[in-house]
Amino acid sequence: MTGSQTFPIVLSLRVALTALLVVAPIGIALAWLQARRRYPGRGLVDAVVLLPLVLPPSVVGFFLVVVFGRFGVIGRWLYAAFGLRLGFTPTAAVIASCVVALPILVKTAQPALEGVPPELEKVGRSLGLAPLALFFRVTLPAAWRGVAAALVLAFARAIGEFGATLMFAGNIPGRTNTMPLEIFAAYQAGDDRRALLYVSVLSAISGVVVLVAARLTPREVPA
Amino acid sequence: MKQRAAGDTGGADAGRPIAPALEARLSVAVGRPGSAFAVEAELALDRGVLVLFGPSGAGKSLTLQALAGLLRPLRGCVRVSGQTLYDSERAIWVPVHRRRVGYVPQHHSLFPFRDVAANVAFGLPRAERRRDSPRVRALLEELGLAQLADARPDALSGGERQRVALARALVVQPRLLLLDEPFASIDQEGRALLRHTLRETLDRHGIPAVFVTHDPDEALALGDRLVRFERGHTTLAGAPGSLLRRGHPVVVAGQAAGPARALEGGRAEIALSAATVEAPAELLEPGEGGQVRLDLRTRPREK
Repeated sequence: MTGSQTFPIVLSLRVALTALLVVAPIGIALAWLQARRRYPGRGLVDAVVLLPLVLPPSVVGFFLVVVFGRFGVIGRWLYAAFGLRLGFTPTAAVIASCVVALPILVKTAQPALEGVPPELEKVGRSLGLAPLALFFRVTLPAAWRGVAAALVLAFARAIGEFGATLMFAGNIPGRTNTMPLEIFAAYQAGDDRRALLYVSVLSAISGVVVLVAARLTPREVPA
Repeated sequence: MKQRAAGDTGGADAGRPIAPALEARLSVAVGRPGSAFAVEAELALDRGVLVLFGPSGAGKSLTLQALAGLLRPLRGCVRVSGQTLYDSERAIWVPVHRRRVGYVPQHHSLFPFRDVAANVAFGLPRAERRRDSPRVRALLEELGLAQLADARPDALSGGERQRVALARALVVQPRLLLLDEPFASIDQEGRALLRHTLRETLDRHGIPAVFVTHDPDEALALGDRLVRFERGHTTLAGAPGSLLRRGHPVVVAGQAAGPARALEGGRAEIALSAATVEAPAELLEPGEGGQVRLDLRTRPREK
């Protein structure tokens, strides 16, 4: 395989893994918040987290440009303060992947955390665990299967991201052409063989993801 | 343990009288305002075991959780061995993880992702937290769990699980142990044994305990003191024996005056001559016309 052939594969893996690293702590924290806390505005947080799942990807992409673009609400400030330009960079692809991976991560991890019997946490607290230690020594180990399944699904969603990435990161060969973008570009150019390469890679990844997620399906926590 | 809470006198002071194990006055409410369930409780225990007794829904568990610091009361105070853990007037609130108050629930008492020894070692500070630490081994030995050290919780019987939970609570040397109907899902014989083990272990370690139950036998066997709960209030307090009637056998003996006569439904009747009945005195007071009639009932059992 030539460098221009492998580039989209490597780029996609890097983008998806980086997105996963960024979105995992945020998503798990949100899942915990929604699973264990009752606070004003909880329903609103639920809705905002779910939004990227419901919105058309191109709309998500448009919002990202409006917020993080060169003249966007945050993008303008980032440029003025640090000279940072996010639009049409691999970082933009990471941000787009994060946004679309968040809902599936939160919505899969939340029931796993909800399923942890409150008694376990009560016992943990009585044994001297402060809130953060309680989460890492009791809640997460008791829910790890569901949380791991959520991470795997989030990764799959991140690596397959197309619409928002196209809007926000563009399709710049050798820079932001992730596999899904490359499939579309190659197909449009009539290069079906090239498209088929990435179709195969993405299909294989998806197959593995489905198998792993199924094996991780949470079991009943025994007494 | 690691941190010392507000007002700690630093252990038993030789010159002072020993503070009572527990003094508490609590107002607890849960649920939304308007439809909230509220409990008012007054508890006191010098040493030994305090039983919170009453029907389910009377507020026993809620009170226990408030003592543990797992939920915050509306007002009141909690003092354990002379140390104030909560006082609404003085704005003192020691969080659960600094109370050194053990807790054993009825269900889900063990961490399913750890084996028995690791469960017992769970609460030890990091430096001592080893499956083979001397304290862990001593407690496993003491509670007859040494052979089960490597077992997973889901492979244990209900009684074994609760003994592990007890060992795990004791390993960190709590000031007070709270038990929320810990033996409620265990069969009768197992329960009697566990009661005995619990009482002995608590006495040996000198750890006071609060025990929630709705079983009078359990209350009598375990309690030094009993508080009765009814619909969100503590109604009575005192020695369990003065508040609960112990079950007594009723013995009927005599000379058979003939063969037993079969009745319907698998029942039978036999006439006795020179019969005597031995029973609690109040059951034998003759009624109208000097008649004595005892209505004895067998317990439901399997055929």
